[in-house]
Amino acid sequence: MGLHLALVAAAFLAAWTPVPAADPAPSPRVDVGVIGWSQGADDGALCSPAVDPPEYYAIPLVPTRQVMGTGQAVGVAHTTFGSSPFGVTLAADGSYRLTLHIRVDHLPSPPQGRFVAWATTPSVEEVVRVGTLDGAGAVSGPVEWNKFLVVITLEPDGEEGETGWRGPIVLRGMSRSGMMHTMAGHGPFEQQECAAFGY
Amino acid sequence: MRRIRVLRAAGLFGLLALAAPSGALPLAAQDPHAGHDMHAGHALSGGWLMPPMDPNMPMLPGLDGAVPPATAWLPHFDLDLSDFPLAEPSRAVTLAHGDTLELLVSPVRRTIRGREYLMYGYNNQYPGPFIRAERGSTVVIRVRNEIRFPTTVHWHGIRLDSRFDGVPGLSQPPIEPGESFTYEVHVPDAGMFWYHPHVREDIQQDLGLYGNLLVIPADGGEGEPVHREELLALDDLLMTEAGDLIPYGLETPVNALMGRYGTVMLANGVADHRIEADRGEVIRFHLTNVANARPFNVRFGEERIKLIGTDVGAYERESWVSSVPISPAERYTVDVRFSQAGTVAITNTIQAVDHFRGVFYPHVDTLAIVTVREAPATPDRAGAFEELRVRDDVVREIDAYREHFDREPDHRITTLLRVNDLPSAIVLSMEADTFYVQPIEWNDSMPMMNWLSSGTQVTWILEDEGTGERNEGIHWSFRQGDVVKIRVFNEPRGFHPMQHPIHIHGQRFLVVARDGIPQENLAWKDTAVVPVGSTMDLLVEMSNPGDWMMHCHIAEHLSAGMHFHFRVEGREGR
Repeated sequence: MGLHLALVAAAFLAAWTPVPAADPAPSPRVDVGVIGWSQGADDGALCSPAVDPPEYYAIPLVPTRQVMGTGQAVGVAHTTFGSSPFGVTLAADGSYRLTLHIRVDHLPSPPQGRFVAWATTPSVEEVVRVGTLDGAGAVSGPVEWNKFLVVITLEPDGEEGETGWRGPIVLRGMSRSGMMHTMAGHGPFEQQECAAFGY
Repeated sequence: MRRIRVLRAAGLFGLLALAAPSGALPLAAQDPHAGHDMHAGHALSGGWLMPPMDPNMPMLPGLDGAVPPATAWLPHFDLDLSDFPLAEPSRAVTLAHGDTLELLVSPVRRTIRGREYLMYGYNNQYPGPFIRAERGSTVVIRVRNEIRFPTTVHWHGIRLDSRFDGVPGLSQPPIEPGESFTYEVHVPDAGMFWYHPHVREDIQQDLGLYGNLLVIPADGGEGEPVHREELLALDDLLMTEAGDLIPYGLETPVNALMGRYGTVMLANGVADHRIEADRGEVIRFHLTNVANARPFNVRFGEERIKLIGTDVGAYERESWVSSVPISPAERYTVDVRFSQAGTVAITNTIQAVDHFRGVFYPHVDTLAIVTVREAPATPDRAGAFEELRVRDDVVREIDAYREHFDREPDHRITTLLRVNDLPSAIVLSMEADTFYVQPIEWNDSMPMMNWLSSGTQVTWILEDEGTGERNEGIHWSFRQGDVVKIRVFNEPRGFHPMQHPIHIHGQRFLVVARDGIPQENLAWKDTAVVPVGSTMDLLVEMSNPGDWMMHCHIAEHLSAGMHFHFRVEGREGR
């Protein structure tokens, strides 16, 4: 798998038309590419989705710099509860049923392929395809986990599948619940040995 | 959501470096539970007992033997259990217009899991009498108080005359021990309501003072496609592992941070509630969360759940739901068809949090068991059960308010928390813990820290963003007929934020938006939860003149300050 991804990444890197090295502050705009990509607001700020999602649970999406030209990309995934007659929406096992509102700015237009958003469990055992980023770098979709990763990949045309990503990871982030950490070895539990609790 | 199960190799561009452990791992051989006095089962100083803790979690350093800064109290500290009658299950009473019900508030003997406890009851019943009344009628309830505390009865969700709303010092003086008060309860709305004290709910309601009041339409509500109706009052009691009730704080509530999450789940006052049904029987369940603080996520095994209504009536459209998340004081009405013979567990199915380990874990409590007989139910209502109806009458009534849905809020409330004099170990733990707070606390994951916090150390706050005023410093005034939009924001960046079920007395409201997203299927409510970090837009019809209260319905949050009053001036100066 690692070799395959490396080859895919290498192919993309070879075909890539890099965005000129950036001074992002004065002008966040880049050229409109083959898929009609355009950037967001003139002030360079990330656009929020057409809702008012809790900022507390916003997931910053950080570029991996694995794909040339994407190092200046800035992304965020907001979460809202899925539509429900209740105040919260839950899956059958009691996990939160959320809608991810993903927005990425400063992504250049790829010469081929498209950017796809995925959510995955922290152990990467389960993956759900959120969807393909639209021309504004946005996509929304459901996720039913309490702790998860968000991954944006560059998928080659015609090879985008439902079984998980094949292309290189462009940005990634973790749900705020990922900040929940064992107290062993910290604060008032400083004397507790982390290893004794399996960490 | 379609999930794809794959096992990926390590080394995916460093992705795994982000991944945190997602499950608890075996403990090493040590005694992290040293100092957990509840295992010994003996009392701490002052008669306190410590709530059960996860035996795998170490004791918070420096707090061995610590007790809350309040006087421990339980009814049997003052009274002899054998002096009181054994309480009986709730009985239904139908009241016609003008009828009077005598309601005695007194200590009662209760049997829970085979052990007797001295608790409280209305008319020696658990829950209190199930009152049925016809919409538009007025019934008289004469209350006599024979417990040691002052009390009142709040008729939750009913748009009645404010003189009978049961808020001490606002709508009436408290009913002192040995005294009586007569309530005239006018019921203008059909729906499932409930009644409970509005004095030290953390004690009185928790000990059993609650009951339901069903207001039926004038036509009797006939023609509904169900075989019968069942009430489910969901509750919990906080006990040690040995079955001893954890005392209450006499002068001030304890468990003031999160509220009192129990360890024993109750449905209709018992821990082993059983229901029998025929195969194919459609039962309409009226769920009421009467717990001090715990939200439930109710499932009926794998059976489908049809959501019909909530606090003050029906939804615009019936809908299928996979579970019923219900916060304290909320009510939901659902139809369930028991499709196969056998047993169905009604459960509280949640993802609990273990803050010490920093993980979620699945947790299920059984609330009741339904035994489904082989004999088929008659008549067959399978066809009607499959039908999802649109309630045109509800849609039409709400239509009159849709022009207000998108306007800017008239008032903005932010929820906050202030603490003082908490032990430093608790403060340090909670500050570290609040790197992440989940939207809803489904379990008490920090029982000792919670238990050691009292109403003198914790102040829960409703802050008016417009004026900066807080709690009882807020003074709102409206005119009868005003339609008022209130935005409630649950500030997530404070010291241990938590969800708040917000209740507005004497009026009804629509939850028109959550986090800026318009809500699609509405019903009139009187209580709605605002999760941590979220905003909730309430459109309140100020239809009922008088002096009213708005507050969080977690009993300990209410006692810790989270309430204020507002006035609705009548059209005729009432």
